[in-house]
Amino acid sequence: MKRTFFIILLFIFSIVCAQQVKFEVQWYPQAQFAGYIMALEKGFFKQNGLEVELIFSDGSDEPLQKMKDGDIDFCSAWLSAALKKCESSNRLVNIYQVLQKSSLMFVAKKSSNITKPADFNGKRIGLWGGDFVLQPTAFFRKYDIDYEKIPQSYNIDGFLVGAWEVASAMYYNEYHKIYQAGVDEEELTSFFFADYGLNFPEDGIYCKLSTLQENEETVIAFVNAVQKGWQYAFQNKQETLDVVMQYCREQAMRTNRAHQKWMLDKIEEAYYYSGSENQTEPGVLPIRDYYRVAEELKEQGFLPKIPRYKSFFKRIVEWEK
Amino acid sequence: MGKVKRPILLKLLFRILLPLLLIYGLLLIFTYNKNKENALNDTKKYLKELTKYNAEKLDNEFQEIAQASYSIKNFVESTMSITDEQLFEFTKKVVMSDEDNIGLGVAFLPYKSHLEREKYAIFTRENAGKYEMSDLTQLYDYLNEDWFQIPILLQNEYWTEPFWGKASETLLMTHAVPIKEDEAIAGIAYADVSLQTVSQLTKNTNIMNGYSFIISKHGTFIHHPVARYKMNETIFSLAERFNRPFLRDLGQKMIAGESGVASYKDLQDEEKKWIVFTPITSTGWTFAAVIPEVEILASVNKAIYNQSMIMLIGLALIILIIIWVAYGISKPIRKLTDYAGEVAAGNLDLQITDIKGNDEIQRLAEDFNNMTSDLKQHINDLTETTKAKQAVESELKIARQIQESLLPRIFPPFPDKKEFDLYARNIPAKEVAGDFYDFFFLNDEKLAVIIADVSGKGISAGLFMAVTRTLLKTVLNETTKPDIATAKANFTLCQENESCMFTTMFLGIYDLQTGMLEYTNAGHNEPFIISKAGQEKKLVTSNDIALGIMENYNYHYQTIQLEKSDTLVLYTDGVTEATSPQEELFGEERMLQVLQNSSEYKLSELTDKLTRKLQTFQADNQFDDITMLFLRRNY
Repeated sequence: MKRTFFIILLFIFSIVCAQQVKFEVQWYPQAQFAGYIMALEKGFFKQNGLEVELIFSDGSDEPLQKMKDGDIDFCSAWLSAALKKCESSNRLVNIYQVLQKSSLMFVAKKSSNITKPADFNGKRIGLWGGDFVLQPTAFFRKYDIDYEKIPQSYNIDGFLVGAWEVASAMYYNEYHKIYQAGVDEEELTSFFFADYGLNFPEDGIYCKLSTLQENEETVIAFVNAVQKGWQYAFQNKQETLDVVMQYCREQAMRTNRAHQKWMLDKIEEAYYYSGSENQTEPGVLPIRDYYRVAEELKEQGFLPKIPRYKSFFKRIVEWEK
Repeated sequence: MGKVKRPILLKLLFRILLPLLLIYGLLLIFTYNKNKENALNDTKKYLKELTKYNAEKLDNEFQEIAQASYSIKNFVESTMSITDEQLFEFTKKVVMSDEDNIGLGVAFLPYKSHLEREKYAIFTRENAGKYEMSDLTQLYDYLNEDWFQIPILLQNEYWTEPFWGKASETLLMTHAVPIKEDEAIAGIAYADVSLQTVSQLTKNTNIMNGYSFIISKHGTFIHHPVARYKMNETIFSLAERFNRPFLRDLGQKMIAGESGVASYKDLQDEEKKWIVFTPITSTGWTFAAVIPEVEILASVNKAIYNQSMIMLIGLALIILIIIWVAYGISKPIRKLTDYAGEVAAGNLDLQITDIKGNDEIQRLAEDFNNMTSDLKQHINDLTETTKAKQAVESELKIARQIQESLLPRIFPPFPDKKEFDLYARNIPAKEVAGDFYDFFFLNDEKLAVIIADVSGKGISAGLFMAVTRTLLKTVLNETTKPDIATAKANFTLCQENESCMFTTMFLGIYDLQTGMLEYTNAGHNEPFIISKAGQEKKLVTSNDIALGIMENYNYHYQTIQLEKSDTLVLYTDGVTEATSPQEELFGEERMLQVLQNSSEYKLSELTDKLTRKLQTFQADNQFDDITMLFLRRNY
């Protein structure tokens, strides 16, 4: 009752004067961000009284830092990245955990005779930098693997021509690019970190704690529209793909529809993922995953003190079918 | 003459044309398939050659570019200490010598360059007519770039996939080759070529109204008429999007460096198309040409069309020839038919003279003429014969009349003699009968009764009968003894009896006063005597032989007493051997049955009764003469 009243109030407010909001996601347009694109395109933000500027990072800037600096209001970021930025002053809060399952994985060709973690020993392994290295580091420590690190670029050519035997890949992206380069799934061995006790939830939506405290109604309006956007994207995939492909073309992204479809499907899986450990609803950060990531960050020296779950994750919206 | 239902012309057409059409049809199908196969094979070969040519053309370009990076590698490896100026001069020279707009450079692993810097990477290119060398380290960290890292890891030359060149701000491909120093890799020498240049090279490839495309070694479209495919789609992404597993298989063959031909349905318009692909060896790319099948089949179909037309003209000519031949054959036959019709109508004087040709038909016409003549002769003969036969027949009729007039035919014959009754009848089977009966008085007391059957029938039998009858009359003038009279008559008959005819005969001499009958039986059926009480009795005879057989035969006689109302029955075998349609003989039994209670009937009635019975029995089909004679003693 209270909520309904609130939404009506917001609606009236939105007509009177729309709130200007800046929201940055961590990469170029693709189906990974379909929910936000659709929330924008279908006018869900506007309906909630928000005038949202959706910014796509080119990987050269740090949306989290920009948000801390007050340049933007909201950003999409990995849980691990956000935790690393979590100092006691100028605190960040997770207001919506979008992807429940980690899509990061290792992939190897069966022809390289790699079928289990122990087979990684002595192999060249393509690794990305930054937050992408947390899970691999934990993985190598867990299985005591001695390997040759190869700085992997954002394409899969080196892996395809055999310059390195194991590649880092996002299940929704590079893994499928390998498939689209003519390598059948049967020819590959996949290692999902989530299957090796290293499920690090990825994309979540963050804002400064101060934003939540000062403009709670804006945050609620924003998260509501985001959730609606994701639901719409998954329910209207063809339309969503049309829009996503349009965004990709405008940004001269080198991609294709079949790939974006795969990505949308896999993002959907990660969005609705509910492992045996996390009996949670979409949007909610699972507490055990949270502490797993935090512990690993502390272990690797990125996090001196683990914040309490309740101070880090703020549930803004209820799950609605 | 009715119309011919199936003329020879039609038969010839059917029997020659149908098999011919069948053979032609089969031939056409066979040649079509064969030609199609040949044309398709030829086209395949042609397309293969064409794609191979295009692929090789591109390959040469790429090899030249590779040559450029190799020349720098060799230059760097052979120069102990090298300066920026030396490098620039050399790279400039190579860039200038190359026809394509290429860029050249070297890049080293940290601290591996001659200049001992941490990072060292330079790049020379032509820019607006000027050659300039830039320092790549100022632009980005090249160490993790594919064009640098991969050839070092592979320890081999490497062609990159097209990528966005940060220095040249265009889509590039790079050929890189490791530079070695004391067997260890120090860095790489490389040459860039823009994708635009590559596209330019393929632009003018127009193959049979189709199009060509190039995919990279990972299936990415480098060149394709659909602009948005370039660098966005791979052959596998299209296979995925349009759900064509076949295309994925094909793509896998392509990136495996195979060459080949395949047909498939177009992704957009479902049109059947052919795809011919050849690898571009140096880069691991594939050059492919896509041609609509209709284009390929069009040339095949044209050839088939021409061939079919020639065949059709040939067929038409054959039909004309058949008609001409059939007409030639059937014309004399039709003439012959007309002549035959005339002959049938009675014109036997017809002679065919206008059928020539020294063939079977002329022969037939000659035979026809002969036949007509023969027929005419036959008809003449037949007319003659018929005339003769008619003459004989009329004479026979006369003979019959004569014979009939010879037999006494007035009954009662002796109305004034009350002592006896007599009745006789002769029914001849032919115009002239061989049977006869006779009776006459030898004197006042004695009556001779005769019944006889001459062997054979017809005229000769009739004549023999007349002779026998006359002879008997003559001899019975001389004697009243039946045996002597018979013997005399036999003797005379045997003389000059060349035709060996003979007569069975019963001769009885009846005494009117005493009722005694003296008789001789010369091989005739034994007569019966039927009493008033109806008892029948066969006369006992000595069964002498027939007359005209043995000249000096001694005949015998017997005597029997006729009582009052006894009836003597004389008959020939025409009665007893009368045959029913069921081949049953009339026989004595039936005869005697008819004659039962004969005393109750007048003799004329008795004769009629027996005659009727015989006619019914024979169903009016009389084979032999029937003769009967009845004599009854009254008192």
